[in-house]
Amino acid sequence: MGSKKKWLSAVTLMMAFVLVLAGCGGNNNGGGNTGGSGEGGGNEKAELTFMFRGGPEEQKAYKDTVAQYEKDHPNVKVKVITTAPDQYATKLKAAITGNSLPDVFFFDTGDLRAYVNGGVLLDITQYVEGMENVDISKLWQKGVDLYRYDGNQVGQGAIYGLPKDLGPFSLGYNKTMFEEAGIPLPDKDKPYTWEEFIKVNQQLTIDKNGDGKPDQYGTGFNVNWSLQAFVWSNGADWLDETGTKVTIDDPKFAEALQYFADMQNVYKITPSIEDAQTLDTYQRWMKGELAFFPVGPWDLATYESLPFDYDLIPYPAGSTGETATWLGSLGVGVSSKTKNPQAAAELVAYLTASEQGQQALVDAKIQIPNLVEMAEAWAANESTKPANKQEFLQIVNEYGRPLPGYRTYNAEWYQLFFTDIQPVLDGKVTAAEYVKAEQPKMQKLLDKAIEQEQKSKK
Amino acid sequence: MKTKSNLYRKEKYYGYLFILPPVLGFLIFALFPALYSLWGSFTDWDGLGRMDFIGLANYKELLADEQFHKALFNTFYLMLGIPVGLALALMLALSLNRGKFGTTTFRVIYYVPVISSLAAISILWQWAYNGDYGLVNQFLEIFGIEGPNWLANKHTVKPAIIIMTVWKGLGYSMLLYLAALQSVPRSYYEAADLDGANALQKLRHITWPMVQPVTFFIVVTSIIGGSQIFTEINIMTPTGGTEYSSATVVFYVWQKAFGNLQMGYASAMAAVLGLFIFVVTLIQFKLDKSSDNHD
Repeated sequence: MGSKKKWLSAVTLMMAFVLVLAGCGGNNNGGGNTGGSGEGGGNEKAELTFMFRGGPEEQKAYKDTVAQYEKDHPNVKVKVITTAPDQYATKLKAAITGNSLPDVFFFDTGDLRAYVNGGVLLDITQYVEGMENVDISKLWQKGVDLYRYDGNQVGQGAIYGLPKDLGPFSLGYNKTMFEEAGIPLPDKDKPYTWEEFIKVNQQLTIDKNGDGKPDQYGTGFNVNWSLQAFVWSNGADWLDETGTKVTIDDPKFAEALQYFADMQNVYKITPSIEDAQTLDTYQRWMKGELAFFPVGPWDLATYESLPFDYDLIPYPAGSTGETATWLGSLGVGVSSKTKNPQAAAELVAYLTASEQGQQALVDAKIQIPNLVEMAEAWAANESTKPANKQEFLQIVNEYGRPLPGYRTYNAEWYQLFFTDIQPVLDGKVTAAEYVKAEQPKMQKLLDKAIEQEQKSKK
Repeated sequence: MKTKSNLYRKEKYYGYLFILPPVLGFLIFALFPALYSLWGSFTDWDGLGRMDFIGLANYKELLADEQFHKALFNTFYLMLGIPVGLALALMLALSLNRGKFGTTTFRVIYYVPVISSLAAISILWQWAYNGDYGLVNQFLEIFGIEGPNWLANKHTVKPAIIIMTVWKGLGYSMLLYLAALQSVPRSYYEAADLDGANALQKLRHITWPMVQPVTFFIVVTSIIGGSQIFTEINIMTPTGGTEYSSATVVFYVWQKAFGNLQMGYASAMAAVLGLFIFVVTLIQFKLDKSSDNHD
């Protein structure tokens, strides 16, 4: 009996491995030709898979774009896979590890280098430059540059993706509130100084019902997304030029962080101490209880129904006198394992640069147009809210910067900064103490990221 | 031995054929990935490309990793909910076992959270815990208590999550206890009555020992489940909480593996967690056997 058992387990094990291998292989072939299944033209019909995340508006816009693409490419069929936004990253990484990557997919800007070095992304330069139906030279230069990489530096070299969108993170103000309070409106071309900003906020922090607690506040920023504007405009940064040293122990950095924390603890122009989580301040802004709040293009549809008038201005400027903020982006790339590189790269171009597709997304009010001309026409129209859409374009063209975490191989060191920051915001630790204690910890993680990057290049 | 019929011999193979699907499923979807991950834990691996063998380096690094220690502490802390849930479930089961009116209704009510989607429940509780508009604080306000912003405060976030997980698991444990209680022979209680035992003595000397196998089962499964708590954390505190106060081991594994391209390191953590669960379960089985003398 003993030997029989062994024999049986051996067979089972073998079958298991065969199945595993077959499973992997199947996925690889799946993207290839599915022709011969009674398709009319007699030609082989290529199938592309396209995976992305997005809301209903985006799904609709991309469906139309894909339909247009299929019309122009009768031999290609596109299978669209949509996932919930919070599951996308996990699903994508699982697909990479499992060797079943879709032909075309969205990816985070910050993962560009890892994906290129790891052989995940395909160099699509030759396919997308000089295409017939879609002209990518009409895209924001800065947007395309985000996806250029020469093996050492991002911003130059071959194209490994195109921007799904550019996300300038601007500042909005409640115009109605200003008018009611009789305060002169902020200048859209001249940022407030930090002192002016505090002063205006204090004027607008009001206890209306006299219960001793304000029910209208100046602002309420989420540290994760708004601290950058203050740090940068004060001439400091998380990283040095080379991207190898954490520079938060710069006194100018500490000054900016302290200013940020003092808005709550000293100047009391924001809602109470533990409410720094966005949900609450976001809701307060929507209810018209805040004077200033960040605005991204993805908010435009939601803000359409605000019960007050709002507009965009530059963030207040620190010691440099220059305003600053970040510019986000999401990439669309092609798998290096695709069977149809040409067709896949052209799909990327359609998704990012086709006029109909962009128009649909703009009409849905969830992003600014990727095409420069279209964007300028859109921004020039002051009849739609917010009037100063030009601010978005200025961020894209002039002063928007990538988030520091995206400049490095991974963002772990950067995340740690925000994980540990609460005591500073609560006023229990000074900014100067915090940056001093946190710098070595962050540097250690950054060193690790750099080491990982070196290794991935080999 | 030699006179076995053809049918008998064939039947044996049919038997194997029937158990083949689950065995295959286990090999492909559990054993193979587990071994692969174990191998990965000894490598420098970003999850994209090459795996370079580096021996125990990942494990050494774990020893000094502050965030891992925090995550480990949080995971244990959250398990404090297990005894609480156990006691509550037994109390509920005891009262429902008396068969007064409305038993079925209450059973259903307590069981609803169990069959609800964990993600949906986490979102609901996230709202309930909201500092300004949450149900919990609105309720506390009736008594003049100003509640904290539960999930954003590093001192309240873990208790808040414990309350939720206890509430979610209560119905399941209660149902198991109910079944166990109903199988305790009436005659034991009658005999105890004759001996003049009071209610507390009956609980201690009859009920508690009789339901012990169920208690054991619940404790073991809760510890295994509790070690792997993730969904609630990921939804309610997407960044792992203020100062990492709610991040658990699996949450940290997930961050490392899928956020920061450190699949090898994450695998090492997973291996440590797996070993921990294995050892704890082993100890529990040993303990259970040594106290298993009532029948």
